[in-house]
Amino acid sequence: MAYLTQLDYVKYICSCGQLKPITSLYFCRHCLKIRCGFCICHEVDSHYCANCLENMPSSEARLKKNRCSSCFDCPSCFHTLSTRATLAQPRQPVDPAGGDTKVENKQPKKMYYLSCFNCRWTSRDVGIPDQPVASGGWPERANPFATRINQLLDYYKAIALQEKQEKLERERKKFSIRGKYITLTDKTGLTGAMARNIAGLPSNEAGSSSAIANFVASQASEEVEQLPDDIYTKEVNLKQITSMPQRLASPEWQPASVARLHPVAKLLSVKRSQRCRACDHNLTKPEYNPGSIKFKIELLAYYHVPEVKIISHEPVKPGEKTALLVKLTNPTGHEMQLRLLQPEDIPPVEDREEPRSIEKSLERSLNLEKDASACRAIERPPSYAASSVVATPVGALTLAQRDDAAEYDDDTQHDADHIILWRKSNKLALRLEVTTDASAADGAPASTAFAIEYSYRNTVPPSSTAAHHRDHTLYTTVLLDLGKVHA
Amino acid sequence: MTLYEGIALIQEKQAVVLDLGSEYTKFGFTGEAAPRCIIRSEFWCTTERKYKKVYDYKTPEELYDNLVHMLHLLYFRHVLVNPKERKVVVVESLFTPTLFRETLAKVLFTHYEVSGVVWADSPRLCALTLGAPVALVVAVGGREAEVAAVVHSCVVLHAMQTQPLAARAIHASLAELLDEDNNTKLNLPDHIIEDIKVKTCFVVGRERAARWRSPSWPAAACDVAYPVAGRSAIAVAGRTRELAAEVLFARDAELASLPDIVLQCIMQCPIDARRELAANILVTGGTATLPGLKARLAEELRYLITQPPYESRLHVREFRFHRAPCPENACAWAGGAVCGAADGGAARATPRDAYARARRLPDWVCLLDNTPPHHPHRDNLDI
Repeated sequence: MAYLTQLDYVKYICSCGQLKPITSLYFCRHCLKIRCGFCICHEVDSHYCANCLENMPSSEARLKKNRCSSCFDCPSCFHTLSTRATLAQPRQPVDPAGGDTKVENKQPKKMYYLSCFNCRWTSRDVGIPDQPVASGGWPERANPFATRINQLLDYYKAIALQEKQEKLERERKKFSIRGKYITLTDKTGLTGAMARNIAGLPSNEAGSSSAIANFVASQASEEVEQLPDDIYTKEVNLKQITSMPQRLASPEWQPASVARLHPVAKLLSVKRSQRCRACDHNLTKPEYNPGSIKFKIELLAYYHVPEVKIISHEPVKPGEKTALLVKLTNPTGHEMQLRLLQPEDIPPVEDREEPRSIEKSLERSLNLEKDASACRAIERPPSYAASSVVATPVGALTLAQRDDAAEYDDDTQHDADHIILWRKSNKLALRLEVTTDASAADGAPASTAFAIEYSYRNTVPPSSTAAHHRDHTLYTTVLLDLGKVHA
Repeated sequence: MTLYEGIALIQEKQAVVLDLGSEYTKFGFTGEAAPRCIIRSEFWCTTERKYKKVYDYKTPEELYDNLVHMLHLLYFRHVLVNPKERKVVVVESLFTPTLFRETLAKVLFTHYEVSGVVWADSPRLCALTLGAPVALVVAVGGREAEVAAVVHSCVVLHAMQTQPLAARAIHASLAELLDEDNNTKLNLPDHIIEDIKVKTCFVVGRERAARWRSPSWPAAACDVAYPVAGRSAIAVAGRTRELAAEVLFARDAELASLPDIVLQCIMQCPIDARRELAANILVTGGTATLPGLKARLAEELRYLITQPPYESRLHVREFRFHRAPCPENACAWAGGAVCGAADGGAARATPRDAYARARRLPDWVCLLDNTPPHHPHRDNLDI
């Protein structure tokens, strides 16, 4: 919960330079780099309705304009509407003779209407008749402007077609050298227009020109809509006038009066899959079932990168050394070697890159240039200002692999060390010393940064061609928020 | 030939139309009559923990981030399509800052990897919804009122007029009037001011406005008590309701009121287009839905044309108004939807590889784009 509700005290620097908490970072196992929501590619995976948890294939969703066919939102307060059932007595045929009424008509019929449990709006308020079926069948309104827009579309399409044909015509005139050889159409006496006729296609020119000829441009008029006469004397009932959000919920109609509000079909939601921009591998892929919150692929940094948490720290004072207690956790299933560094001590990327095989470099050179440039355009140098410097211990630390059974062991191993406070299965508490700059102003935000060098075992099954390295040494920079400077 | 093209058209993904307004953003598909969503141009900023407007930026990086977040919201929460390999029609004002255009292009092409972008200016798109050859587009939106003359699909650039007379100006004047009514400094948030405007305010006729300026005030419209959660109801006097939008029509020596800039635009157009323009006025933009605004504008135009400096220099007497086949606030968007569907967006789109080579957009103000190819200065141009 702390991850969701509290401020982010510990931030990691993503490979694109963004500062994010570990819970919103991804880890690409193929590039061995930390990625975040900013530098990865999001894709729509599947459509579903968040209310009825019904899946909808994307082609159907496109047809239905991304709206659920059975769920509706309240047009007044945007809460989900519920279907209510009532018993309706069918109208009795009035018998002037006063004879006995038919028995079968006495059976009351179930009728349904929509009602909002939040604001008590009902579909009866606006005169929508009750429906005999529980879901679907609600009257659909047509856009009042649809016919005119379609006319415009036909007109402009015809113009675009004509434009294109004229261009083709011009090209043909420029290049056609007729003479010497007779073409097939000349020989058989078959012209283009006849061929179209035989094939049953509408003759092109006539179709487009009729659309252009039949088009009527909008007519301007002297009259403009005037204010209603009673506007100066009529009392304003605020409850009868819709607000902007209510109007814009249905962009086609934008009703100004509450009496014209109609139920809004619920907008679908999407499940997204994420993809690394550099190597095009999936980082996350959700399960298809809308009810499930699990993932088929889930490469989160939380499962691959050592996690840093602040246990406690002394108030930061300018020019003084203060203690900082942090906890490191190894989330992976392999033992991890850790070393703390200053952020500026991270070796540049080029030095770390393994020598590539010829195939790999070929593949790289064949890769489209624009993709790499797009990747680089998103990256930017991280912007952070650390007011304090952490004294990094020289030696390497070893963190055991994650072991769920170890949770039940209770004995914490105390390596009597001046930096290691305690150690418990895959966790390690460190006592660090923070030196603050003497010039830090009172009340300024205090923060410190350090880098972690960690060993990482790649578990991706090796491809047959490339030489595969299983163990890697990776680096990440962590930014800690230490409250404010106390003078 | 055409059969294959037909198949290609089906396979081509339906393009999207983006109209990033200063207050509201319209987003939807080409070929449809209405946008899929009209939402405020703001997004939830997780680092600042508040709603942030797209146009609130100090550095190009901040604008880049804003646009990335806004487009993410539009694509994945509202329209639910993959932005990748899909064309976009961007509806923009001709006065869009170069930085904004360039950053938007960068976001669309590199971050969202769209296949092509059609950059279309809003006056021409508004005129497109009419089908009339000549139109004078008066767009009164969130921040500015823009008047542009479109003559045979060309915007008369030197005659374009713009003034900060739109929703923001009305909100500021309404806030002042409300402070007067309640005798306190109310400091109401923007969305409440907007709601009061939408629900109660209207634009009065010319004569009545003149009477409000004279010492003998007319009998005001009914007062309204506007309830606000957590405080006592706000009194909205009838006078406030009538005069909130008066700021658009306030004339001074600079002749910068809304009807004035319309007339000035006509005056600066070629003489043989003026009469046509005056007879083909289209008033669009969200503020144009304010009751009575169009009527007042028509009245003012018909009066001002008989007054100096216009009566001797502008010989048009007839003003006619169009009705667009769409709601006023989505008029430019609808034009974009028609334009994008008609020529498939293919012919006029800037493809991604072209952008990747040039790394800049053609712009009407840039000498690189508007210097004729054989002009002697052409060789000295450099960026």
